[in-house]
Amino acid sequence: MFKYAIKRILTFIPMLIAISLLSFVISINAPGDPVERLSKAAGNEGSAEQQSGASKKIKQEIRKKLGLDLPIFYLSITDLAASDTLYKVQDKYHKANLEALTHQSGNWEAVSEYYSSLLDLQKAHQQVDAKEIVANDSLLSLNTVNEAANQFGFEIGSLLETSDKTIIPLKFDKMNGLLENHVFLSDLKVPLFNVKQSRENLFINATRWKTYVPAISWYGRKNQYHLWLFGNGKDRKGLLRGDFGISYIDSQPIQSKIWQKVGISFSLSLISIFLAYLISIPIGIYSAYKKDSVADKGMSLVLFVLYSMPSFFVATLLLLQFANPDNLSWFPVSGIQDPTIFDPNWSLWMKLKHRMPFLILPIITYTYSSFAFLSRIMRVGMIDVVSQDYIRTARAKGLGEGKVILKHALRNSLLPVITVFAAIFPMAIGGSIIIEVIFSIPGMGVEVFNSILNYDYPMIITVFTLSGFLTMVGYLVADLLYAVVDPRISYK
Amino acid sequence: MQNTNENFSFKKYAWAQFKKNKIALVSLYLLLALVIIALFAPYIANDRPLYAVYEGNTLYPAFASDTRTDSIYNAEGNFLQVLQYDITDWRQLDLTSVVWTPIPYSPGSMDRYNRDYAAPSGKQRFKNSEGKIIDIPSKFRHKLGTDGIGRDLASGLIHGTRISLMVGLVSMGIASLIGIILGALAGFFGDTKLKMPRIKYWLTLFGFFMGLFYGFGQRKYILSEAFSEGIGDGMIAMLISVGVVIGITMLFRMLSKAIQFEWLNKEVSVPMDTFVSRGIELLNSIPRLLLIITITAVVERSIWIVMIIIGITGWTGIARFTRAEFLRIRSLEFVQAAESLGYSSIRTIFKHALPNALAPVFVSIAFGIASAILIESGLSFLGIGVPDDIVTWGSLLNLGRQNLEAWWLIIYPGMAIFITITIYNMIAEASRDALDPRLKS
Repeated sequence: MFKYAIKRILTFIPMLIAISLLSFVISINAPGDPVERLSKAAGNEGSAEQQSGASKKIKQEIRKKLGLDLPIFYLSITDLAASDTLYKVQDKYHKANLEALTHQSGNWEAVSEYYSSLLDLQKAHQQVDAKEIVANDSLLSLNTVNEAANQFGFEIGSLLETSDKTIIPLKFDKMNGLLENHVFLSDLKVPLFNVKQSRENLFINATRWKTYVPAISWYGRKNQYHLWLFGNGKDRKGLLRGDFGISYIDSQPIQSKIWQKVGISFSLSLISIFLAYLISIPIGIYSAYKKDSVADKGMSLVLFVLYSMPSFFVATLLLLQFANPDNLSWFPVSGIQDPTIFDPNWSLWMKLKHRMPFLILPIITYTYSSFAFLSRIMRVGMIDVVSQDYIRTARAKGLGEGKVILKHALRNSLLPVITVFAAIFPMAIGGSIIIEVIFSIPGMGVEVFNSILNYDYPMIITVFTLSGFLTMVGYLVADLLYAVVDPRISYK
Repeated sequence: MQNTNENFSFKKYAWAQFKKNKIALVSLYLLLALVIIALFAPYIANDRPLYAVYEGNTLYPAFASDTRTDSIYNAEGNFLQVLQYDITDWRQLDLTSVVWTPIPYSPGSMDRYNRDYAAPSGKQRFKNSEGKIIDIPSKFRHKLGTDGIGRDLASGLIHGTRISLMVGLVSMGIASLIGIILGALAGFFGDTKLKMPRIKYWLTLFGFFMGLFYGFGQRKYILSEAFSEGIGDGMIAMLISVGVVIGITMLFRMLSKAIQFEWLNKEVSVPMDTFVSRGIELLNSIPRLLLIITITAVVERSIWIVMIIIGITGWTGIARFTRAEFLRIRSLEFVQAAESLGYSSIRTIFKHALPNALAPVFVSIAFGIASAILIESGLSFLGIGVPDDIVTWGSLLNLGRQNLEAWWLIIYPGMAIFITITIYNMIAEASRDALDPRLKS
């Protein structure tokens, strides 16, 4: 038994690593730039120029805090052409573009030269002062100057983000056209020429063969995954110490928002799993006891049909029938408490009494979704046990049928039901999303739902990782429990 | 059952057993009906009539492509107007002779005279060809009502059938492919049976890694370009990539023959079963719906991607059944005969063993389809992953949830989902009983 437990716990660890890797991979593939999101959430106002200076600083801080200036993983497998310092480039879209360009040309030096010439051009463009130009040349209006300059800036911006071979020449043509039509932009001529030169260089000095040679680079512990998981000992504590990162919506740490919600979801699913067991075990026993009777057959059919009924349909039907002024308005439609009367200082009993009507429909739905499944398992398990030899022996020695079923058969038929706990658990967590959304219960499910609508990826990943962990703990407990009740397991 | 009978075949026996279950048989016919509805959806529910005569021109609008544009001339040859098929309101045209589809509405078209949840039996309005608003003629009545923006529910349900069947087909197609191959390899070879020289084992792993590098790493941009062109191009590029992976792995395997060293050529066994079983365990230990929701959150919203994700996360059950079946089959005489005849493992597995292992796998596929449909409708109920403009049963039900007064938006789509899932479950259960007589109690 002890040996089995140790072995089981040892297989638990690689699974945890796998889950953390999976959530990490999903999180780094989330679209959009987290820095942009967070700096927007920080809400910096002020004039455009002030903002660009201030926001740049804020962005840099955020980037540092999130560890985005670090390489992604301990090692990376790329090709020989790819740069191992690319992660230092700040802008996410620039980074992707540089990667694509490197893939096209195979020469990182040429690409970085091209990139820096583009940045030079951008810098030169930013120094174009429309007011000064207008002051020097009275023939020009501020509007035309601004428009031309803005257009030019736009082209630079898009060049920084595209690697498309058909689009880039078009952009160059447009910029040339702008330069020809507007003399006041002549300061940009030289930098633009440099950009074009380095662009041509990309192909002249192309070393495409390099992209066909795989290369591994090693970064060590200073990487995003390590930081995410273990923290850096300073401002980031790491996932393992309960630091889940920052929500994009309000820049608040996620762990402060999540625990209460985990509690709500968890207690709801535990209550309903308990109720489901309470109902389904007697049903299963009864059907197996009266096997092939009309009652058993009828019950099997009903259970089967219920089993096929999606829980969100049941929930909506319940709402339609029991929380609808047109039919019966017995229960409130949503939430778990009435904010106008609810008092957080109430005793536990008062709270429970207040919340009861809110919780009845959700609990019915929750329970429903596992009970049909459980009853069927219970019935099959019972039938299996009843046909065993030792049951026949018990009958043969003259025990009453009730005693045979309840004392001898029941204990063994419970075994499969225990293992099923591990299967029910993830079902309860996954299913809770839909049910919580329907009844607006402020638990983890609604949190995930809202964060998906708001693209709040850290929150989604947190909930995913947490429920993965919890589910695995559920499996572990179920397996250990199984080993306790069934001594045959440990000898395997 | 007389097994000595000359004409005895397992298929016939199983079919006879299946037919005994009347409910399952009815389910099978219902499934057939669903398939027919799905195939002919555009001719059952469509804005455009099947046949129309307009100013002397005979048209077949429902059969034409959406973007078709016709210039209409009257009997004297004078130009009248340009008809663009998909934006023309055919109900307003003065058609001399017309055959409408049974439900004269498309799933996405909005009837602006019956907005705000027109009840099935309530008052509905209609604008006739003279431009007057009248009580709706029974032909054009929204027999199952409309939603908030005037889309016909019956039409949505008919076209939703397509989606739900597609979900089952595509996602379980992917899941079966992965599940059967992995399950078969794990079950057939176990942990000890697949032996190869150490060098070959290593080079295979290395070749697989190189294959991934060239097939997916190197082709990353080609792949993403192809997928942005369309799902079909993307799939072709994907197939090429998979081909590259397989090809390079094979190349390295062949290379291993050239290397001859005592120690390197020692036979080692490949723990195939451990690999697959751990993978199954890992995938099973993540709440599936949550995994799917998390992935759909970071990828583009598309019904195809949802199907693929459901497929990729849904193979574990099939793999488990296939594995168990192969564990049983591999010790049977005919497999040993095939092996002793010197057939390659691949041939033995896929040509001789697999056909005999498919029966229980079929059952788990049928159950899998039911759960795939359940997941898809759950997702579109939440409005996650599936684009808003695609009308599915789940999204219709969601509209009903948001407006409980529109009971028709709850009952009908809900029943459609429920009946479809029941059909698949019934068929699965009955075929399990029929295919595996041991389980029959």
